[in-house]
Amino acid sequence: MSVQIKLPTALRPFAGQQETVSVDGKTTGEVLDALFARHESLKKQLLTPEGKMRNFVNVYVNEDDMRDLKGLNTPVKDGDTVLIVPAIAGGSGAEPAPASLSKEELQRYHRHLIMPEVGPEGQKKIKNAKVLCIGAGGLGAPLSLYLTAAGVGTLGLVDFDVVDASNLQRQVIYTTDDVGTSKLTAAKKRLQALNPNVNVVLHEERLTSQNALALFAQYDVIADGTDNFPTRYLVNDACVLTGKPNAYGSIFRFEGQLSVFGAKDGPCYRCLYPEPPPPGLVPSCAEGGVLGVLPGAVGTMQAIEVLKLILGIGEPLVGRLVLFDALAMSWRTLKLKKNANCPLCGTNPTIKALIDYEQFCGLKEPAPALPEISVEELKKRLDERGAFDLIDVREPHEYEIARIQGSKLIPLGTLPQRLAELDRSREYLVHCKMGGRSAKAVKLLREQGYKATNIAGGITAWSERIDPSVPTY
Amino acid sequence: MTLVINPRLKQQVETAGTSAFPEECCGFLIGAVPDGFERLGRRVVVDEVRALPNGWEAGALTKTTRYQIDPKIFAKVERELEGTGKAIVGLYHSHPSVPAWPSPFDLERAWPCYSYWIVCVREGRAQESRSWMRSEDGASFLEEPVEVKDFV
Repeated sequence: MSVQIKLPTALRPFAGQQETVSVDGKTTGEVLDALFARHESLKKQLLTPEGKMRNFVNVYVNEDDMRDLKGLNTPVKDGDTVLIVPAIAGGSGAEPAPASLSKEELQRYHRHLIMPEVGPEGQKKIKNAKVLCIGAGGLGAPLSLYLTAAGVGTLGLVDFDVVDASNLQRQVIYTTDDVGTSKLTAAKKRLQALNPNVNVVLHEERLTSQNALALFAQYDVIADGTDNFPTRYLVNDACVLTGKPNAYGSIFRFEGQLSVFGAKDGPCYRCLYPEPPPPGLVPSCAEGGVLGVLPGAVGTMQAIEVLKLILGIGEPLVGRLVLFDALAMSWRTLKLKKNANCPLCGTNPTIKALIDYEQFCGLKEPAPALPEISVEELKKRLDERGAFDLIDVREPHEYEIARIQGSKLIPLGTLPQRLAELDRSREYLVHCKMGGRSAKAVKLLREQGYKATNIAGGITAWSERIDPSVPTY
Repeated sequence: MTLVINPRLKQQVETAGTSAFPEECCGFLIGAVPDGFERLGRRVVVDEVRALPNGWEAGALTKTTRYQIDPKIFAKVERELEGTGKAIVGLYHSHPSVPAWPSPFDLERAWPCYSYWIVCVREGRAQESRSWMRSEDGASFLEEPVEVKDFV
């Protein structure tokens, strides 16, 4: 039974310059023993003093790694080739000191430590892990709170906003006193009070195509809690390009989505949605609203996926999309396939660097110029009692919350049916909450031959700059 | 011992280092196996460098401080070079923002004979590069001069 053992160039000097050595044996273990018996100095190179194969040595039987077969018991037969292949590795960084757990940490993480799936080894993995949360909002709040409580060693947060009163209904990391202050500063204070062992790293900047790759390279897992399409595509692409898994979550009104994108051999967000929706089709939470508890449910699920990825336990949500419907209280799971034609992670990728995501999502197309006035102008014209009508195109429940005196409510959706109520010879000034819906109304009215003008900034600007007694919502 | 390389190949490795920044780049140095490959006086002449993907799997450390070469690629290139008189004679990798000294991990994973050429990259620009060979007992690295010259 003669088997050929092939040696890499670096080992040949220790085997009399031979490229292949012919030995006898029935298993990989036997042929390697026979090799070492013949060339004592090879043994020193490949085995530890205890006689175990060094971890940078791979043994292949013909084409297959023996670890995928039966290890040292893999049968070999006459004519087989056994290859010794170096696993080349190295790098500048020193091996991290294996995290140890202090007495305080042993007490704090007790409920983790007594589960064999986590245990002290798993808790050290969590302590060694670096997780980056994109966005410190509805999803970022539960994500960062639970990951901090769980003991993630390094937690990065990316956001550049200040806390707004309308955030408090769901962003449970902030308190009423934090309104008007930096989100990240407030979040860090809260997280460090929860668990001082966690290194909270603040990235108080907008995530861009220029900084994303260098930022992601410093972390092990990315958790996407963004609320807009350009950033969502940016996070996805940067994750795939840097090889970081993305624990993804998104929310809208009463529904949420969850998945893990960008994992090795798994699909990415572009496999699911190759193109963003046309601008304006999918409203943001600021426009469409969101049930305050919903991000709590979705964000904690993201945190679970992050911990599973760190611990390497269970089945991460790779290749699956969970759809949560809070009204039906149903969790549905859809299978997601990796798209072989995906421009980013497919077999022949065309996207090899980050792009301009605002443009990709159609947000840079020049908006058709519509006549527009400021709220200051509106105030002046109202004071002058000019000949015009003020139309509010918001929904009736918004009108209940706040209105500008003297306005007539025609919700945008009903406008096409109610044109008959309007007069083509009169002038109409149109507003909504922030100016988006009223712009659509003005466009429609102009197309129908009405003299309509948009009010920039809507009732929100009115409340901020003209009449603070009108509530913002 | 000495590592001999022409300016064009040196440039190629430096470019690989800067484009991978802030991650590490890695690849093979290919040439004829010199006589006495394992001996301290040996001279390695490189006539091809081959860039490879950094196959380090994210763990506690990332590709900013680690590199790894898929053994399947190693086996494939060795097969390809069989009978050509050339072989893998060394490896290069970059140290982003860290000097071109081998790290303890470089030593732990070092193979005998090969030249280990390290390029330091700072702020996206290639700085000094130095080459090393593991001592026979595996306890340390020995520096070898890098000769940059045009040769046929």
